Amino acid sequence: MKKTETSTGMKVLLNVLLIIYAVFALFPLVWMVLLSFKSDAQMYNTMFVFSPTLDNYRQVLFKTDYPRYMRDSLIVSGLAVVVSVVVGVPAAYALARYNFKKKEDIAFQILSFKFAPEILVVLPLFIIFQKLHLYDTYLGLIWVYQLISMPLLIWVVRGYFEDISVEIEHAAQVDGYSWWQIFFKNLVPLIRPGLVSAALLAFIFAWNEFTFPLLLAGSKVQPITVAITKFLGTDTAHYGQLAVAAVISALPAIIFALVIQKHLVRGLSFGAVKG
Amino acid sequence: MKKKIIGIVLVGVMAASLAACGGGSKETQAPAAETEAAGSEAAAETEAAGGDAAEATGDFNWKAYEGTTLHILFNEHTYSKAVIEKIPDFEALTGMTVEYSSTPESNYFDKVNTSLSSRSGDSDVFMTGAYQVWEYAPAGYMEDLQPYIDDPTKTAADYNFDDFIPAAIDSLRWDMVPGHPVGEGSLWAIPMGWELNTVAYNKRIFEEKQVEPPKTTDELMAVATSLNEFDGSGTYGIAVRGSREWATIHPGYMSLFATWGGQDFAIEDGKLVCKLDSPEAIAMTDYWVNLIKQAGPPQWSTYTWYQASADLGAGKAAMLFDATSAAYFQNVEGGSAESGNIAWTGIPLPEGKDTMKSNVWVWSLAMNAFSQNKDAAWYFIQYFTSPEFMQWSGTEGSCADTPRQSVMDSDEYKAIAGSADNYLETFAQLAPNASIFFTPQPYFFECTTTWAETLQDLVTSDKYSSTEEAMKQLKANLDKVVQDIEVE
Repeated sequence: MKKTETSTGMKVLLNVLLIIYAVFALFPLVWMVLLSFKSDAQMYNTMFVFSPTLDNYRQVLFKTDYPRYMRDSLIVSGLAVVVSVVVGVPAAYALARYNFKKKEDIAFQILSFKFAPEILVVLPLFIIFQKLHLYDTYLGLIWVYQLISMPLLIWVVRGYFEDISVEIEHAAQVDGYSWWQIFFKNLVPLIRPGLVSAALLAFIFAWNEFTFPLLLAGSKVQPITVAITKFLGTDTAHYGQLAVAAVISALPAIIFALVIQKHLVRGLSFGAVKG
Repeated sequence: MKKKIIGIVLVGVMAASLAACGGGSKETQAPAAETEAAGSEAAAETEAAGGDAAEATGDFNWKAYEGTTLHILFNEHTYSKAVIEKIPDFEALTGMTVEYSSTPESNYFDKVNTSLSSRSGDSDVFMTGAYQVWEYAPAGYMEDLQPYIDDPTKTAADYNFDDFIPAAIDSLRWDMVPGHPVGEGSLWAIPMGWELNTVAYNKRIFEEKQVEPPKTTDELMAVATSLNEFDGSGTYGIAVRGSREWATIHPGYMSLFATWGGQDFAIEDGKLVCKLDSPEAIAMTDYWVNLIKQAGPPQWSTYTWYQASADLGAGKAAMLFDATSAAYFQNVEGGSAESGNIAWTGIPLPEGKDTMKSNVWVWSLAMNAFSQNKDAAWYFIQYFTSPEFMQWSGTEGSCADTPRQSVMDSDEYKAIAGSADNYLETFAQLAPNASIFFTPQPYFFECTTTWAETLQDLVTSDKYSSTEEAMKQLKANLDKVVQDIEVE
């Protein structure tokens, strides 16, 4: 009896702590949303009580090129992830299943693309992009974004492939499936949680990318991360408009995450093969 | 066997996906190549046409480079906003096409650095300040513009170069010898606007609190301190920049530093020697650190001109020691909560000094030395620094700090800028002695960033026991930075 009491007390305490943490973690986002409804005049002299206005939204959505920047971001980040998935999944499979010379070196090399500082490679890339006419194009950015999205995807998905016993493939072969059928009907569903979460992370990283689009694009293609700084105006800092731009730019990743949430189940293949 | 087959298939898949990428790149390359071909054809045609025209008449012809596409890098600013608004007029007049990007100041020079140092000539014209010239010109990135101005076939007869205010033009001239002051040598850029640094204040608050605008540094300290929390918590006496970069040193700090009699470097035995440990430099820095501690913005160490001037406009700060234009934008109708309440006054004088030495900042247009369309690029610079354009930008385009005397003298300009309280008077008071008070040298940014770091350490930490100790350390550091510079 006593034990239950303490554990209930513990639960309450834990929940209170979690709520405090949630408030702490979410407050900046809430504050950002609040700012987006404040006029410039109310920006500094009000906290939570103010007369909300949609002016900032009107200004950003209808009087600037904001929708264009969002479109650019969606095209570049979305297609970058698609390319990463199409190229990265077979690569991850190869790295998981086959033994070939310098396999680990190659795997590490791929990972190292992710942790090399971007500013280190941007000047040679700039010159190459000028020569190939990739500067300021969608394709150029999608290509260079592979440095960000691909290594992550390959490493996560590789781990999932390694988790799947090779016996599952063998069993399917015995049942008369071709390799392609095994890959798409058997393996892809099994790696789906990993693939989906890696793709989501890759999308967020690509969406947040700043250095590459700043230096390798700029006039014809302008992702939101670069364009958003424009709201730190020429004449003054329009914090309200900045907040609107930030709020809206956070939406695609949130929507994407909610949509794919149901795929984020782990352990589908656990126990499929028992020794 | 099976494994081998799978392996081969896999290689096939990867090859196919790679090929798909490659194919994509080819597809987009093709139109790019086409446009380039088309562009060069057009350029060839117009060259012929322009050449003919020039040969036939020997005159200046705005249409000489019809069909050329120019690439421009803008910093996000009122000056560039005015230019961008009139680009369609320029395109109609010249038949050229203008492509541009506009980047906020904090990242703008990253973009310029990349573009210039790639030597690819991808940008033809870029915006720059005077300090950047000291780095870009010796590196060979910039084109000397004087020959273009002197050539009557390249410059319209009504350009009236002599109309530019000498101090603005001089700050963009430099002979590329480190340590030599600006004002001699090649002309590296043409000003779009020039800004002087001085004190602006909120006269509504000053009236309410019954204080007078400060004339001396002692008064400034007293007034700023007395106005702390003038309207509750979060409001404070004086806004100045504090971020860890060169931009913190050059406005208010450098102006008062020069007025106080400080000097950054001197030439001794063919070497640059840092003078930041002089009694004047130490006294002034000590004063400045105290001013920030007593009455500066609470988040001073993150402040750039955007935040500092926004605070004045929002009624959070009672004063701003920064560019004339920074306060001006807050004062235009609808520009901020305190628009109409801002007034200007000169630089407060330290004891025993009678000359206000306002440090100059000049946004200007420069040409990439690797540009493939130099003459066309000059047309762009010329058009957007012409008397006609500057008359428009100085009045309707809200670029208050015009570098052209004729615009300053025009009734229209006087009516607009003159409506700001004591603005033109302060400008006239500062202009005769305004200049760039830094010693030109290619390590300018490294030196001023280290300088700003020391300021931050003094304000926010106990790293140094005294300002004197900090400045001596700073001097030693900066001497090392510039030690390889030889002054002829």
